[in-house]
Amino acid sequence: MKPPKNVLASGRTNGDDWIEVAPAQLPTILTELKARGFRSWSFMTCVDHLGTPLVVPPKERFELVYQLRNMETREQIRVRAFVPASDPVAPSVQEIFAPANWDERETWDLFGIRFEGHPDLRRILLPDEWVGHPLRRDHPVGGEPVEFSDDHQSWQTAPAEA
Amino acid sequence: MRTDTEPQGMAITRESDSAHLGGDIMTVNFGPHHPSTHGVLRLVVDLDGERVVGLKPHIGYLHTGIEKQMESLRYQQAVVATDRHDYLSPLFNNLAYALAVEKLMAIEVPPRAQALRVIMCELCRLSSHMVWLGTSGLELGAMSMLMYCFRDRDRVMDLNEEISGFRMHTSYIRPGGVMADATDNFWTLLERFCQDMPGNIDEYENVLTSNPIWRARTIGIGLLAPEDAIALGATGPMLRGSGVDWDLRKVAPYSGYEKYDFEVPLSDAGDCYGRYLVRVAEMRESLKIISQAARQIPGGPVNVDDRKLLSPPREELETSMEAVIHHFKIVTEGYSPPAGDAYAVVESPRGESGCYLVSDGTHKPRRAKFRSASFVNLQALEKMALGGMVADMIAIIGTADAVLGDVDR
Repeated sequence: MKPPKNVLASGRTNGDDWIEVAPAQLPTILTELKARGFRSWSFMTCVDHLGTPLVVPPKERFELVYQLRNMETREQIRVRAFVPASDPVAPSVQEIFAPANWDERETWDLFGIRFEGHPDLRRILLPDEWVGHPLRRDHPVGGEPVEFSDDHQSWQTAPAEA
Repeated sequence: MRTDTEPQGMAITRESDSAHLGGDIMTVNFGPHHPSTHGVLRLVVDLDGERVVGLKPHIGYLHTGIEKQMESLRYQQAVVATDRHDYLSPLFNNLAYALAVEKLMAIEVPPRAQALRVIMCELCRLSSHMVWLGTSGLELGAMSMLMYCFRDRDRVMDLNEEISGFRMHTSYIRPGGVMADATDNFWTLLERFCQDMPGNIDEYENVLTSNPIWRARTIGIGLLAPEDAIALGATGPMLRGSGVDWDLRKVAPYSGYEKYDFEVPLSDAGDCYGRYLVRVAEMRESLKIISQAARQIPGGPVNVDDRKLLSPPREELETSMEAVIHHFKIVTEGYSPPAGDAYAVVESPRGESGCYLVSDGTHKPRRAKFRSASFVNLQALEKMALGGMVADMIAIIGTADAVLGDVDR
Protein backbone atom coordinates (compact mmCIF):
# COMPACT_ATOMS: atom_id res chain seq x y z
CA MET A 1 0.00 0.00 0.00
CA LYS A 2 1.27 3.47 -0.87
CA PRO A 3 1.45 5.45 2.37
CA PRO A 4 -0.46 8.74 2.50
CA LYS A 5 1.35 12.09 2.32
CA ASN A 6 2.82 13.71 5.44
CA VAL A 7 3.83 10.38 6.90
CA LEU A 8 6.90 10.65 9.14
CA ALA A 9 7.83 6.98 8.96
CA SER A 10 6.35 3.68 7.88
CA GLY A 11 7.25 0.06 8.31
CA ARG A 12 6.21 -3.45 9.17
CA THR A 13 6.65 -4.96 12.63
CA ASN A 14 5.84 -8.62 13.32
CA GLY A 15 3.74 -8.71 10.15
CA ASP A 16 1.70 -5.59 10.98
CA ASP A 17 1.93 -2.53 8.72
CA TRP A 18 2.24 0.82 10.43
CA ILE A 19 2.75 4.47 9.66
CA GLU A 20 3.78 7.27 11.94
CA VAL A 21 2.29 10.73 11.69
CA ALA A 22 2.40 14.00 13.61
CA PRO A 23 -0.49 14.26 16.11
CA ALA A 24 -1.88 17.35 14.34
CA GLN A 25 -2.10 15.34 11.10
CA LEU A 26 -4.24 12.56 12.62
CA PRO A 27 -7.66 13.75 11.38
CA THR A 28 -6.37 14.36 7.85
CA ILE A 29 -4.58 11.03 7.62
CA LEU A 30 -7.46 9.04 9.11
CA THR A 31 -9.93 10.74 6.75
CA GLU A 32 -7.71 9.81 3.84
CA LEU A 33 -7.35 6.21 5.04
CA LYS A 34 -11.10 5.95 5.49
CA ALA A 35 -11.62 7.18 1.92
CA ARG A 36 -9.19 4.50 0.77
CA GLY A 37 -11.37 1.80 2.29
CA PHE A 38 -10.07 1.49 5.85
CA ARG A 39 -13.59 1.83 7.20
CA SER A 40 -13.49 -0.66 10.02
CA TRP A 41 -12.27 0.62 13.36
CA SER A 42 -10.43 -1.88 15.53
CA PHE A 43 -9.25 0.20 18.46
CA MET A 44 -7.21 3.16 19.55
CA THR A 45 -5.08 3.28 22.64
CA CYS A 46 -1.97 4.77 24.14
CA VAL A 47 1.37 3.38 25.25
CA ASP A 48 3.35 5.04 28.02
CA HIS A 49 7.09 4.79 27.35
CA LEU A 50 8.19 6.27 30.69
CA GLY A 51 11.42 4.67 31.86
CA THR A 52 11.77 2.54 28.76
CA PRO A 53 14.76 0.20 28.81
CA LEU A 54 15.17 0.50 25.04
CA VAL A 55 18.59 1.66 23.84
CA VAL A 56 16.96 3.97 21.30
CA PRO A 57 14.07 5.39 23.31
CA PRO A 58 10.81 6.34 21.58
CA LYS A 59 10.49 9.97 20.50
CA GLU A 60 8.10 11.01 23.21
CA ARG A 61 6.62 9.52 26.34
CA PHE A 62 3.14 8.81 24.97
CA GLU A 63 2.43 6.92 21.79
CA LEU A 64 -1.08 6.93 20.40
CA VAL A 65 -1.96 3.86 18.36
CA TYR A 66 -4.90 3.61 15.95
CA GLN A 67 -5.68 0.29 14.33
CA LEU A 68 -7.85 0.24 11.20
CA ARG A 69 -8.95 -2.48 8.86
CA ASN A 70 -9.89 -2.48 5.20
CA MET A 71 -12.89 -4.76 4.79
CA GLU A 72 -12.40 -5.19 1.03
CA THR A 73 -8.67 -5.84 0.71
CA ARG A 74 -8.47 -7.21 4.31
CA GLU A 75 -5.37 -5.14 4.99
CA GLN A 76 -4.74 -3.67 8.39
CA ILE A 77 -2.92 -0.48 9.20
CA ARG A 78 -1.64 0.92 12.46
CA VAL A 79 -1.24 4.68 12.77
CA ARG A 80 1.14 5.90 15.44
CA ALA A 81 1.53 9.42 16.77
CA PHE A 82 3.89 10.48 19.53
CA VAL A 83 2.58 12.97 22.07
CA PRO A 84 4.90 14.75 24.53
CA ALA A 85 4.41 14.35 28.27
CA SER A 86 4.57 18.13 28.78
CA ASP A 87 1.44 18.73 26.71
CA PRO A 88 -0.50 15.49 26.17
CA VAL A 89 -3.04 16.70 23.60
CA ALA A 90 -4.22 15.21 20.34
CA PRO A 91 -7.08 16.10 18.01
CA SER A 92 -10.20 13.98 18.38
CA VAL A 93 -11.17 11.74 15.46
CA GLN A 94 -14.60 10.74 16.74
CA GLU A 95 -16.30 12.61 13.87
CA ILE A 96 -14.44 10.43 11.37
CA PHE A 97 -14.80 7.14 13.24
CA ALA A 98 -17.78 6.99 15.60
CA PRO A 99 -16.38 4.25 17.88
CA ALA A 100 -13.39 6.51 18.62
CA ASN A 101 -15.71 8.37 20.99
CA TRP A 102 -15.46 5.84 23.80
CA ASP A 103 -11.88 4.87 23.02
CA GLU A 104 -10.79 8.50 23.39
CA ARG A 105 -12.72 8.82 26.63
CA GLU A 106 -10.98 5.68 27.88
CA THR A 107 -7.58 7.02 26.86
CA TRP A 108 -8.32 10.29 28.66
CA ASP A 109 -9.49 8.35 31.70
CA LEU A 110 -6.55 5.97 31.96
CA PHE A 111 -3.68 7.96 30.40
CA GLY A 112 -4.72 11.60 30.72
CA ILE A 113 -4.40 12.41 27.04
CA ARG A 114 -6.75 15.28 26.12
CA PHE A 115 -8.59 15.02 22.83
CA GLU A 116 -9.45 18.41 21.40
CA GLY A 117 -12.83 18.62 19.76
CA HIS A 118 -14.27 15.67 21.66
CA PRO A 119 -17.84 16.60 22.63
CA ASP A 120 -17.97 14.70 25.92
CA LEU A 121 -14.49 14.05 27.28
CA ARG A 122 -15.38 12.58 30.67
CA ARG A 123 -13.98 9.62 32.54
CA ILE A 124 -15.61 6.44 31.28
CA LEU A 125 -14.33 3.50 33.35
CA LEU A 126 -13.28 5.12 36.62
CA PRO A 127 -15.40 7.19 39.02
CA ASP A 128 -15.43 10.90 38.22
CA GLU A 129 -13.64 11.87 41.41
CA TRP A 130 -10.72 9.50 40.79
CA VAL A 131 -7.32 11.19 41.07
CA GLY A 132 -4.71 10.40 38.44
CA HIS A 133 -4.60 8.29 35.33
CA PRO A 134 -3.81 4.72 36.36
CA LEU A 135 -2.38 3.28 33.16
CA ARG A 136 0.46 5.80 33.30
CA ARG A 137 3.59 3.97 34.34
CA ASP A 138 4.20 6.27 37.30
CA HIS A 139 0.83 5.49 38.82
CA PRO A 140 1.55 3.06 41.68
CA VAL A 141 -0.02 -0.39 41.50
CA GLY A 142 -0.15 -0.64 45.26
CA GLY A 143 2.01 -2.52 47.68
CA GLU A 144 3.99 -1.29 50.64
CA PRO A 145 6.66 1.33 50.09
CA VAL A 146 9.94 -0.18 51.28
CA GLU A 147 13.24 1.26 52.44
CA PHE A 148 15.25 -0.17 49.57
CA SER A 149 13.38 1.20 46.60
CA ASP A 150 16.30 1.97 44.29
CA ASP A 151 14.74 -0.29 41.72
CA HIS A 152 11.24 1.07 42.19
CA GLN A 153 10.83 1.44 38.45
CA SER A 154 11.09 -2.25 37.86
CA TRP A 155 8.57 -2.88 40.64
CA GLN A 156 6.44 -0.01 39.38
CA THR A 157 5.81 1.15 42.90
CA ALA A 158 6.64 4.73 43.65
CA PRO A 159 9.09 5.20 46.55
CA ALA A 160 7.69 6.44 49.84
CA GLU A 161 7.34 10.17 50.14
CA ALA A 162 10.19 11.66 52.16
CA MET B 1 -20.43 7.09 43.67
CA ARG B 2 -20.54 8.78 40.34
CA THR B 3 -21.18 12.47 40.23
CA ASP B 4 -22.34 12.66 36.64
CA THR B 5 -25.72 11.39 37.77
CA GLU B 6 -28.14 13.83 36.34
CA PRO B 7 -31.23 12.52 38.10
CA GLN B 8 -30.84 12.89 41.84
CA GLY B 9 -33.31 10.19 42.80
CA MET B 10 -35.03 7.28 41.18
CA ALA B 11 -36.55 9.44 38.49
CA ILE B 12 -37.14 13.08 37.71
CA THR B 13 -39.42 14.75 35.24
CA ARG B 14 -38.61 17.80 33.25
CA GLU B 15 -40.37 20.06 30.79
CA SER B 16 -40.05 18.57 27.35
CA ASP B 17 -39.10 20.88 24.54
CA SER B 18 -40.68 18.86 21.73
CA ALA B 19 -42.88 16.28 23.35
CA HIS B 20 -44.20 13.67 20.96
CA LEU B 21 -47.10 12.80 23.14
CA GLY B 22 -47.55 16.26 24.54
CA GLY B 23 -46.43 15.14 28.00
CA ASP B 24 -43.26 15.49 29.99
CA ILE B 25 -40.11 13.55 29.27
CA MET B 26 -39.16 11.34 32.14
CA THR B 27 -35.53 10.47 32.80
CA VAL B 28 -35.09 7.08 34.39
CA ASN B 29 -32.06 5.28 35.71
CA PHE B 30 -32.02 1.79 34.29
CA GLY B 31 -29.62 -0.40 36.19
CA PRO B 32 -26.80 -0.82 37.12
CA HIS B 33 -28.32 -3.63 39.16
CA HIS B 34 -30.97 -4.81 36.80
CA PRO B 35 -31.17 -8.48 35.86
CA SER B 36 -31.59 -7.77 32.17
CA THR B 37 -28.40 -5.75 31.80
CA HIS B 38 -26.23 -8.90 31.73
CA GLY B 39 -23.89 -7.56 34.36
CA VAL B 40 -23.78 -4.07 35.73
CA LEU B 41 -24.68 -1.66 32.98
CA ARG B 42 -26.37 1.59 33.81
CA LEU B 43 -28.47 3.39 31.25
CA VAL B 44 -29.92 6.84 31.71
CA VAL B 45 -33.02 6.70 29.58
CA ASP B 46 -35.23 9.61 28.53
CA LEU B 47 -38.78 8.39 28.10
CA ASP B 48 -41.64 10.03 26.30
CA GLY B 49 -44.45 7.84 27.54
CA GLU B 50 -43.01 4.40 26.86
CA ARG B 51 -40.91 5.55 23.92
CA VAL B 52 -37.16 5.91 24.31
CA VAL B 53 -36.07 9.37 23.17
CA GLY B 54 -32.65 9.47 24.77
CA LEU B 55 -30.22 6.86 26.01
CA LYS B 56 -26.84 7.24 27.65
CA PRO B 57 -24.90 4.15 28.73
CA HIS B 58 -22.69 4.50 31.80
CA ILE B 59 -20.07 1.80 32.12
CA GLY B 60 -17.14 1.07 34.38
CA TYR B 61 -18.87 -0.70 37.26
CA LEU B 62 -16.87 -3.87 36.59
CA HIS B 63 -13.54 -2.18 35.87
CA THR B 64 -10.84 -4.34 37.42
CA GLY B 65 -7.74 -2.82 35.85
CA ILE B 66 -6.70 -6.02 34.09
CA GLU B 67 -4.50 -4.12 31.65
CA LYS B 68 -2.66 -2.45 34.52
CA GLN B 69 -2.26 -5.74 36.36
CA MET B 70 -0.77 -7.36 33.29
CA GLU B 71 2.02 -4.78 33.23
CA SER B 72 3.34 -6.21 36.48
CA LEU B 73 2.91 -9.88 35.58
CA ARG B 74 5.39 -11.92 33.60
CA TYR B 75 4.22 -13.10 30.20
CA GLN B 76 3.35 -16.61 31.37
CA GLN B 77 1.62 -15.30 34.50
CA ALA B 78 -0.52 -12.83 32.59
CA VAL B 79 -2.51 -15.69 31.02
CA VAL B 80 -4.68 -15.99 34.12
CA ALA B 81 -5.55 -12.30 33.93
CA THR B 82 -6.81 -12.70 30.36
CA ASP B 83 -9.38 -15.32 31.40
CA ARG B 84 -11.19 -12.97 33.61
CA HIS B 85 -12.39 -9.99 31.64
CA ASP B 86 -14.78 -11.66 29.21
CA TYR B 87 -15.83 -14.34 31.66
CA LEU B 88 -18.16 -16.06 29.22
CA SER B 89 -15.48 -16.68 26.62
CA PRO B 90 -12.20 -17.01 28.53
CA LEU B 91 -10.60 -19.26 25.94
CA PHE B 92 -10.87 -16.62 23.24
CA ASN B 93 -9.06 -14.13 25.45
CA ASN B 94 -6.39 -16.77 26.15
CA LEU B 95 -6.06 -17.40 22.45
CA ALA B 96 -5.83 -13.72 21.46
CA TYR B 97 -3.15 -13.19 24.09
CA ALA B 98 -1.25 -16.34 23.17
CA LEU B 99 -1.35 -15.44 19.48
CA ALA B 100 -0.02 -11.95 20.27
CA VAL B 101 2.88 -13.33 22.31
CA GLU B 102 3.61 -15.91 19.62
CA LYS B 103 3.53 -13.16 16.99
CA LEU B 104 6.02 -11.11 19.01
CA MET B 105 8.33 -14.10 19.37
CA ALA B 106 7.70 -15.56 15.88
CA ILE B 107 6.61 -18.95 17.20
CA GLU B 108 4.53 -21.49 15.34
CA VAL B 109 2.66 -23.89 17.64
CA PRO B 110 2.42 -27.60 16.71
CA PRO B 111 -0.61 -28.76 14.67
CA ARG B 112 -2.08 -30.83 17.51
CA ALA B 113 -2.08 -27.81 19.80
CA GLN B 114 -3.79 -25.75 17.09
CA ALA B 115 -6.52 -28.36 16.68
CA LEU B 116 -7.03 -28.54 20.46
CA ARG B 117 -7.26 -24.75 20.55
CA VAL B 118 -9.94 -24.81 17.86
CA ILE B 119 -11.94 -27.52 19.65
CA MET B 120 -11.82 -25.74 22.99
CA CYS B 121 -12.66 -22.34 21.46
CA GLU B 122 -15.65 -23.70 19.60
CA LEU B 123 -16.87 -25.42 22.76
CA CYS B 124 -16.47 -22.09 24.48
CA ARG B 125 -18.46 -20.37 21.71
CA LEU B 126 -21.24 -22.90 22.26
CA SER B 127 -21.28 -22.32 26.01
CA SER B 128 -21.20 -18.54 25.56
CA HIS B 129 -24.09 -18.62 23.08
CA MET B 130 -25.98 -20.91 25.45
CA VAL B 131 -25.71 -18.39 28.28
CA TRP B 132 -26.80 -15.67 25.89
CA LEU B 133 -29.75 -17.68 24.60
CA GLY B 134 -30.82 -18.81 28.05
CA THR B 135 -30.74 -15.36 29.61
CA SER B 136 -32.24 -13.58 26.61
CA GLY B 137 -35.02 -16.12 26.48
CA LEU B 138 -35.65 -15.69 30.18
CA GLU B 139 -35.90 -11.92 29.82
CA LEU B 140 -38.52 -12.19 27.12
CA GLY B 141 -40.54 -14.75 29.02
CA ALA B 142 -39.25 -18.07 27.72
CA MET B 143 -38.13 -19.42 31.05
CA SER B 144 -37.55 -22.98 29.87
CA MET B 145 -34.69 -21.70 27.66
CA LEU B 146 -32.58 -21.00 30.71
CA MET B 147 -33.07 -24.57 31.94
CA TYR B 148 -32.31 -26.12 28.56
CA CYS B 149 -29.25 -23.97 27.94
CA PHE B 150 -27.70 -24.35 31.36
CA ARG B 151 -28.31 -28.09 31.25
CA ASP B 152 -26.18 -28.29 28.10
CA ARG B 153 -23.67 -25.67 29.15
CA ASP B 154 -22.83 -27.80 32.14
CA ARG B 155 -21.58 -30.48 29.80
CA VAL B 156 -19.18 -27.97 28.24
CA MET B 157 -18.02 -27.11 31.74
CA ASP B 158 -17.47 -30.83 32.37
CA LEU B 159 -15.34 -30.99 29.24
CA ASN B 160 -13.35 -27.97 30.43
CA GLU B 161 -12.82 -29.66 33.75
CA GLU B 162 -11.77 -32.90 32.13
CA ILE B 163 -9.12 -31.28 29.96
CA SER B 164 -7.79 -28.56 32.27
CA GLY B 165 -9.08 -29.16 35.79
CA PHE B 166 -11.07 -25.92 35.78
CA ARG B 167 -14.65 -25.38 34.81
CA MET B 168 -14.69 -21.72 33.82
CA HIS B 169 -11.40 -19.83 33.85
CA THR B 170 -9.37 -22.61 32.38
CA SER B 171 -6.22 -20.72 31.22
CA TYR B 172 -5.97 -23.71 28.92
CA ILE B 173 -4.46 -21.92 25.93
CA ARG B 174 -1.02 -20.56 26.71
CA PRO B 175 1.77 -18.99 24.70
CA GLY B 176 3.57 -21.87 23.05
CA GLY B 177 0.68 -24.31 22.96
CA VAL B 178 -1.91 -25.59 25.39
CA MET B 179 -1.82 -26.65 29.02
CA ALA B 180 -2.09 -30.41 28.52
CA ASP B 181 -3.16 -32.99 26.00
CA ALA B 182 -6.73 -34.26 26.05
CA THR B 183 -7.46 -37.40 28.05
CA ASP B 184 -9.25 -40.46 26.65
CA ASN B 185 -12.26 -39.62 28.76
CA PHE B 186 -12.35 -36.18 27.16
CA TRP B 187 -12.72 -37.67 23.69
CA THR B 188 -15.52 -39.96 24.89
CA LEU B 189 -17.37 -37.09 26.54
CA LEU B 190 -16.82 -34.89 23.49
CA GLU B 191 -18.20 -37.51 21.13
CA ARG B 192 -21.33 -37.94 23.23
CA PHE B 193 -21.73 -34.19 23.45
CA CYS B 194 -21.45 -33.79 19.67
CA GLN B 195 -24.04 -36.53 19.18
CA ASP B 196 -26.56 -34.99 21.55
CA MET B 197 -26.15 -31.31 20.73
CA PRO B 198 -27.87 -31.12 17.31
CA GLY B 199 -31.02 -32.52 18.91
CA ASN B 200 -30.70 -30.08 21.78
CA ILE B 201 -30.36 -27.13 19.42
CA ASP B 202 -33.51 -28.37 17.64
CA GLU B 203 -35.13 -28.27 21.03
CA TYR B 204 -34.12 -24.60 21.52
CA GLU B 205 -35.47 -23.77 18.11
CA ASN B 206 -38.74 -25.60 18.83
CA VAL B 207 -39.21 -23.33 21.79
CA LEU B 208 -38.30 -20.05 20.12
CA THR B 209 -37.98 -19.88 16.35
CA SER B 210 -41.70 -20.05 15.54
CA ASN B 211 -42.92 -18.98 18.95
CA PRO B 212 -45.37 -16.10 18.32
CA ILE B 213 -44.37 -14.20 21.49
CA TRP B 214 -40.65 -14.51 20.75
CA ARG B 215 -41.22 -13.39 17.16
CA ALA B 216 -43.39 -10.47 18.22
CA ARG B 217 -40.76 -9.34 20.68
CA THR B 218 -37.81 -9.60 18.27
CA ILE B 219 -38.85 -9.18 14.63
CA GLY B 220 -38.33 -5.60 13.45
CA ILE B 221 -36.93 -4.61 16.86
CA GLY B 222 -33.54 -2.96 17.24
CA LEU B 223 -32.87 -2.42 13.56
CA LEU B 224 -29.26 -1.85 12.59
CA ALA B 225 -28.48 -1.12 8.94
CA PRO B 226 -25.31 -2.74 7.54
CA GLU B 227 -23.62 0.62 6.86
CA ASP B 228 -24.41 1.77 10.40
CA ALA B 229 -23.07 -1.48 11.82
CA ILE B 230 -19.75 -0.97 10.02
CA ALA B 231 -19.56 2.73 10.88
CA LEU B 232 -20.20 1.98 14.56
CA GLY B 233 -17.48 -0.66 14.55
CA ALA B 234 -19.86 -3.53 15.36
CA THR B 235 -18.44 -7.00 14.84
CA GLY B 236 -19.49 -10.60 15.26
CA PRO B 237 -23.16 -11.62 15.20
CA MET B 238 -24.14 -7.93 15.43
CA LEU B 239 -22.52 -7.36 12.05
CA ARG B 240 -23.58 -10.66 10.49
CA GLY B 241 -27.12 -10.16 11.77
CA SER B 242 -27.14 -7.06 9.56
CA GLY B 243 -26.07 -9.07 6.54
CA VAL B 244 -22.37 -8.18 6.38
CA ASP B 245 -20.36 -11.28 5.52
CA TRP B 246 -17.43 -10.81 7.89
CA ASP B 247 -15.97 -13.53 10.05
CA LEU B 248 -12.30 -13.39 11.05
CA ARG B 249 -12.13 -17.18 10.98
CA LYS B 250 -12.71 -16.89 7.23
CA VAL B 251 -11.14 -13.55 6.29
CA ALA B 252 -8.00 -13.84 8.42
CA PRO B 253 -7.77 -17.51 9.46
CA TYR B 254 -5.73 -18.36 12.53
CA SER B 255 -5.00 -21.66 14.32
CA GLY B 256 -5.78 -23.63 11.17
CA TYR B 257 -9.42 -22.56 10.68
CA GLU B 258 -8.84 -22.64 6.93
CA LYS B 259 -8.72 -26.45 7.14
CA TYR B 260 -12.29 -26.81 8.35
CA ASP B 261 -15.42 -26.72 6.29
CA PHE B 262 -18.04 -24.42 7.81
CA GLU B 263 -20.46 -21.71 6.78
CA VAL B 264 -20.74 -18.15 8.07
CA PRO B 265 -24.41 -17.70 9.00
CA LEU B 266 -25.89 -14.39 7.86
CA SER B 267 -29.22 -12.65 8.24
CA ASP B 268 -30.33 -9.63 6.24
CA ALA B 269 -32.97 -8.68 8.77
CA GLY B 270 -30.70 -6.52 10.96
CA ASP B 271 -33.11 -6.94 13.88
CA CYS B 272 -33.06 -8.90 17.12
CA TYR B 273 -34.59 -11.93 15.42
CA GLY B 274 -31.88 -11.88 12.76
CA ARG B 275 -29.16 -11.81 15.41
CA TYR B 276 -30.89 -14.69 17.19
CA LEU B 277 -30.99 -16.77 13.98
CA VAL B 278 -27.30 -16.04 13.31
CA ARG B 279 -26.23 -17.18 16.77
CA VAL B 280 -28.28 -20.37 16.68
CA ALA B 281 -26.88 -21.20 13.24
CA GLU B 282 -23.39 -20.46 14.57
CA MET B 283 -23.88 -23.06 17.27
CA ARG B 284 -24.54 -25.69 14.61
CA GLU B 285 -21.47 -24.56 12.65
CA SER B 286 -19.34 -24.77 15.80
CA LEU B 287 -20.43 -28.38 16.25
CA LYS B 288 -19.41 -29.07 12.65
CA ILE B 289 -15.96 -27.59 13.31
CA ILE B 290 -15.55 -29.54 16.55
CA SER B 291 -16.38 -32.89 14.94
CA GLN B 292 -14.05 -32.23 12.00
CA ALA B 293 -11.21 -31.12 14.25
CA ALA B 294 -11.69 -34.09 16.58
CA ARG B 295 -11.83 -36.53 13.65
CA GLN B 296 -8.72 -35.29 11.87
CA ILE B 297 -6.63 -34.22 14.87
CA PRO B 298 -2.94 -34.81 14.14
CA GLY B 299 -0.64 -36.52 16.61
CA GLY B 300 2.46 -35.04 18.12
CA PRO B 301 3.29 -32.64 20.92
CA VAL B 302 0.90 -30.00 22.26
CA ASN B 303 3.59 -27.46 23.03
CA VAL B 304 6.51 -25.94 21.19
CA ASP B 305 9.79 -27.64 21.89
CA ASP B 306 11.52 -24.57 23.23
CA ARG B 307 13.19 -24.71 26.64
CA LYS B 308 13.49 -20.91 26.72
CA LEU B 309 9.71 -20.56 26.61
CA LEU B 310 8.26 -23.48 28.55
CA SER B 311 9.71 -25.36 31.45
CA PRO B 312 11.00 -28.86 30.67
CA PRO B 313 9.00 -32.01 31.45
CA ARG B 314 9.23 -33.16 35.06
CA GLU B 315 11.17 -36.36 34.34
CA GLU B 316 13.96 -34.44 32.59
CA LEU B 317 14.64 -32.45 35.75
CA GLU B 318 15.94 -35.54 37.49
CA THR B 319 18.55 -36.37 34.90
CA SER B 320 19.60 -33.18 33.14
CA MET B 321 21.45 -30.25 34.68
CA GLU B 322 20.48 -28.04 31.74
CA ALA B 323 16.83 -28.82 32.29
CA VAL B 324 17.15 -27.68 35.90
CA ILE B 325 18.75 -24.42 34.79
CA HIS B 326 16.03 -23.84 32.21
CA HIS B 327 13.36 -24.62 34.76
CA PHE B 328 14.96 -22.20 37.22
CA LYS B 329 15.21 -19.41 34.63
CA ILE B 330 11.59 -19.87 33.49
CA VAL B 331 10.22 -19.90 37.02
CA THR B 332 12.28 -17.02 38.39
CA GLU B 333 12.51 -14.76 35.37
CA GLY B 334 10.27 -15.93 32.55
CA TYR B 335 11.00 -15.13 28.94
CA SER B 336 11.47 -11.83 27.16
CA PRO B 337 10.03 -11.31 23.70
CA PRO B 338 12.05 -8.93 21.50
CA ALA B 339 11.01 -5.28 21.64
CA GLY B 340 8.15 -4.40 19.34
CA ASP B 341 4.41 -4.59 19.17
CA ALA B 342 1.88 -7.02 17.75
CA TYR B 343 -1.88 -7.15 17.36
CA ALA B 344 -3.59 -10.53 17.21
CA VAL B 345 -7.31 -11.02 16.67
CA VAL B 346 -9.73 -13.88 17.05
CA GLU B 347 -13.42 -14.16 16.24
CA SER B 348 -14.97 -14.45 19.68
CA PRO B 349 -18.69 -15.16 20.25
CA ARG B 350 -19.11 -11.39 20.40
CA GLY B 351 -16.94 -10.34 17.48
CA GLU B 352 -13.43 -9.09 16.97
CA SER B 353 -11.59 -9.85 20.18
CA GLY B 354 -8.00 -8.76 19.98
CA CYS B 355 -4.90 -8.30 22.02
CA TYR B 356 -2.40 -5.54 21.33
CA LEU B 357 0.86 -6.25 23.09
CA VAL B 358 3.85 -3.96 23.33
CA SER B 359 7.12 -5.47 24.46
CA ASP B 360 10.08 -3.40 25.59
CA GLY B 361 12.39 -6.38 25.64
CA THR B 362 11.82 -7.20 29.30
CA HIS B 363 9.97 -10.16 30.79
CA LYS B 364 6.77 -8.19 31.47
CA PRO B 365 4.54 -6.55 28.87
CA ARG B 366 5.01 -2.80 28.52
CA ARG B 367 1.37 -2.51 27.49
CA ALA B 368 -1.38 -5.03 26.97
CA LYS B 369 -4.55 -3.71 25.42
CA PHE B 370 -7.61 -5.83 24.86
CA ARG B 371 -9.80 -4.85 21.98
CA SER B 372 -13.09 -6.03 23.34
CA ALA B 373 -15.98 -6.58 20.99
CA SER B 374 -18.54 -5.81 23.70
CA PHE B 375 -17.06 -2.35 24.36
CA VAL B 376 -17.50 -1.34 20.72
CA ASN B 377 -20.79 -3.18 20.13
CA LEU B 378 -22.36 -1.48 23.12
CA GLN B 379 -21.94 1.90 21.42
CA ALA B 380 -24.47 0.78 18.82
CA LEU B 381 -27.11 0.43 21.54
CA GLU B 382 -28.22 4.04 21.23
CA LYS B 383 -28.70 3.69 17.50
CA MET B 384 -30.79 0.54 17.91
CA ALA B 385 -32.92 1.58 20.89
CA LEU B 386 -33.81 5.21 20.08
CA GLY B 387 -37.40 5.61 18.99
CA GLY B 388 -38.39 2.17 20.24
CA MET B 389 -40.38 1.13 23.26
CA VAL B 390 -38.68 0.80 26.61
CA ALA B 391 -39.63 -2.89 26.79
CA ASP B 392 -37.90 -3.50 23.47
CA MET B 393 -34.71 -2.13 24.94
CA ILE B 394 -34.50 -5.35 26.98
CA ALA B 395 -34.57 -7.42 23.81
CA ILE B 396 -31.97 -5.15 22.23
CA ILE B 397 -29.56 -5.30 25.17
CA GLY B 398 -30.02 -9.06 25.14
CA THR B 399 -29.15 -9.55 21.49
CA ALA B 400 -26.27 -7.06 21.64
CA ASP B 401 -24.79 -9.70 24.00
CA ALA B 402 -22.36 -7.39 25.74
CA VAL B 403 -20.44 -8.94 28.61
CA LEU B 404 -19.85 -6.12 31.03
CA GLY B 405 -16.65 -7.61 32.35
CA ASP B 406 -15.33 -7.39 28.82
CA VAL B 407 -16.63 -3.83 28.37
CA ASP B 408 -15.00 -2.53 31.54
CA ARG B 409 -11.94 -4.82 31.69
